[in-house]
Amino acid sequence: MQPPIRVRFTAFVGAVFLAALGSAACSRGTGGSSSANGGPASGTVIKSGVDLPLSGSDASDGVPTENGAKLAVIDANKQHLMAGYTFVADVLDDAVNGVHSPNQGAKNIQSFASDGAVLGVVGPFNSNVAKAEIPLSNNLGLALISPATTNPDLTKGPPALQLRTTNPSSITFFRVCATDDIQGPAGADYAGKVLKLRRAYLLDDNETYGRGVSDQWARQFIADGGSVVGHDHITKGQQDFHALLTRAGGLHPDVVFYGGTTSTGGGLVRKQMADSGLGGTAYFGADGIRNDEFLKVAGTSASDVYATVAAINADKLAAAKTFLSEYQDQFHQPVGSYSANAYAATMVVVHAIVDAAKAAGGKMPDRAAVLEKLKTTKGFPSIIGSFSFDRNGDTTNKIISIYEAKNGAWMFLTQQNYAK
Amino acid sequence: MADIHQFFQQLINGVALGGVYALIALGYTMVYGIIELINFAHGDVYTLGSFFSLSILGLIPLSHIASGPALGLIALVVILAAALLCGIVGVLVERLAYRRLRNAPRLAPLITAIGVSLILENIMQLWKGNSEVPFPQFLPDRWHIVGGVKFDDRAVLVVAVSVAFMIALNLFVFRTRLGKAMRATAQDRDAAQLMGININSTIAWTFFIGSALAGVAGFISGMYYGTTFFLNGYQAGLKAFTAAVLGGIGNITGAMLGGFLIGIVEAMTSQYISDQWTSVVVFSILILILVFRPSGLLGEQVPEKV
Repeated sequence: MQPPIRVRFTAFVGAVFLAALGSAACSRGTGGSSSANGGPASGTVIKSGVDLPLSGSDASDGVPTENGAKLAVIDANKQHLMAGYTFVADVLDDAVNGVHSPNQGAKNIQSFASDGAVLGVVGPFNSNVAKAEIPLSNNLGLALISPATTNPDLTKGPPALQLRTTNPSSITFFRVCATDDIQGPAGADYAGKVLKLRRAYLLDDNETYGRGVSDQWARQFIADGGSVVGHDHITKGQQDFHALLTRAGGLHPDVVFYGGTTSTGGGLVRKQMADSGLGGTAYFGADGIRNDEFLKVAGTSASDVYATVAAINADKLAAAKTFLSEYQDQFHQPVGSYSANAYAATMVVVHAIVDAAKAAGGKMPDRAAVLEKLKTTKGFPSIIGSFSFDRNGDTTNKIISIYEAKNGAWMFLTQQNYAK
Repeated sequence: MADIHQFFQQLINGVALGGVYALIALGYTMVYGIIELINFAHGDVYTLGSFFSLSILGLIPLSHIASGPALGLIALVVILAAALLCGIVGVLVERLAYRRLRNAPRLAPLITAIGVSLILENIMQLWKGNSEVPFPQFLPDRWHIVGGVKFDDRAVLVVAVSVAFMIALNLFVFRTRLGKAMRATAQDRDAAQLMGININSTIAWTFFIGSALAGVAGFISGMYYGTTFFLNGYQAGLKAFTAAVLGGIGNITGAMLGGFLIGIVEAMTSQYISDQWTSVVVFSILILILVFRPSGLLGEQVPEKV
């Protein structure tokens, strides 16, 4: 019997809804995975996991970083570092609804760990994601090398020890960028001593990175003779900053420091400052806002804005010349703050794998052997300069660069080496 | 003196924010008034309004039009077009998702509403991506200073447009035949039907008008903030819902009052307590109202059913 029209209509609508829900399930979870190796795979595949925020507002940080990692894998294969093996970058997105997510990052690490071909992971980008991933990396013995997470508590002191409860003595998390206990003060010095700013109002996004870097910045700003007139925290998903900034305007700051990323509100705050009587006030941030997304969101307000980056500017390095031209040929996109760092981080992993394989007589090494090689990295020559990992897993290469947003672009101002 | 200036400055922030909440709250309250459904997809219709406005603005060569009156006309056209499109979405949602559940247990349409909300959010994510989308600032940015308090044309626009639409809505509901049909349907659906009122079309119109107002809110918030984001409707929807409950859900005047009050409470909390506490304060109000005065400040206009 033919079902009545009403029933068929309902069934049709139901099918449409189910289809929409299906696509919802896909887009809400992992933003997809892709891999790169620069040519047809030959021989046994060895994977380097890459975990970065690749969708939404964070994509303007994540994608250029991902490109750096992919380029390193392409180059490693071109150089035939290991006969009979092909390196592949296995890329996962840790952004959910357009913002980096610690939960998604943890899931990604578990998914890498379950793939025997993954011998090390490059990532993550954000410190709160790292905080969720380090315990897993420590527990699973899977090396994690970050190009960009800057919170010092990830590697140093008692807070870092709490992230390594399973194997406290085993270091599995490394990074090739400097940390916020250097980045924050470097920015504050520039604000206080070069720009001669005296009254700072601080805002942060309440995340591991944002809170940490604003506290570090404030400490040095006060030490340099400045004063902090207020410090507030914003909440995730907040859209309206008029009331907050109107109150801040009443405190008459000459600089607003924002600790956080563009995806947590860095661009919106700058944009709305103009509406709340703070249009003529300088805006200072750190690596979280030094991206194209900030320029897009802040629009015409993206001027008189300064930001530090905890990495060297690759444009200034002779060693990075080939990298920069290859990057352009390959991706036709501008490099990001941490593209060169991702290249270096991936190269460290690749070389650790190659060295471990050599020690194992040409066989595919296990994760523990790769970790051992990473720990003993000394004077590794890379496009961002030669570096070693100290006993906490931090790089010995400590350079902070400072940028200014002007006429819709980020201009490099200066950089300083803080290595002792 | 400075303190007084700050107070009035925050009052302007609060009223502008409240105007947006009030427009959204109207949709909640009208739909609740007529079918006793809390339409959780309503906040997303608001975001959809800003996305429709964006797309329509994208079709207009704004950089070639410099004069003030023409820009004002464009703003009006975009508002009406966004309202129309959102109204159509509202009607479709009612037709596809809610109508068949009208006599089902009340939990069923409520859960459906949450489902519709997720579907709309994901459609918007696929449509404009999941990052902040800049909203063209095509109206000249003029500042006014009244007694030391500064505000710009956009704040004026938000308040003027929201108040104008509220007055229009009140006239509509209390002065037209369709408005009368809505009020009759809200009071007693069966009796209204017996009197020859077409219930289905009356409810469809209610959804159309409520969603159209959310579309207007979407446009003005896009103008006010200069950006939009596919998940904005979630928070704004919850706050507007609080506004509707505060004013007395089902009560149109109450929704407007509640919207402005919530906006002002947010701004004042930010000024005198801490910005982090704004959501806590707003949702505490929701809880207190639900516990101590469930009918809201102005009371529900839906009479007791015996």
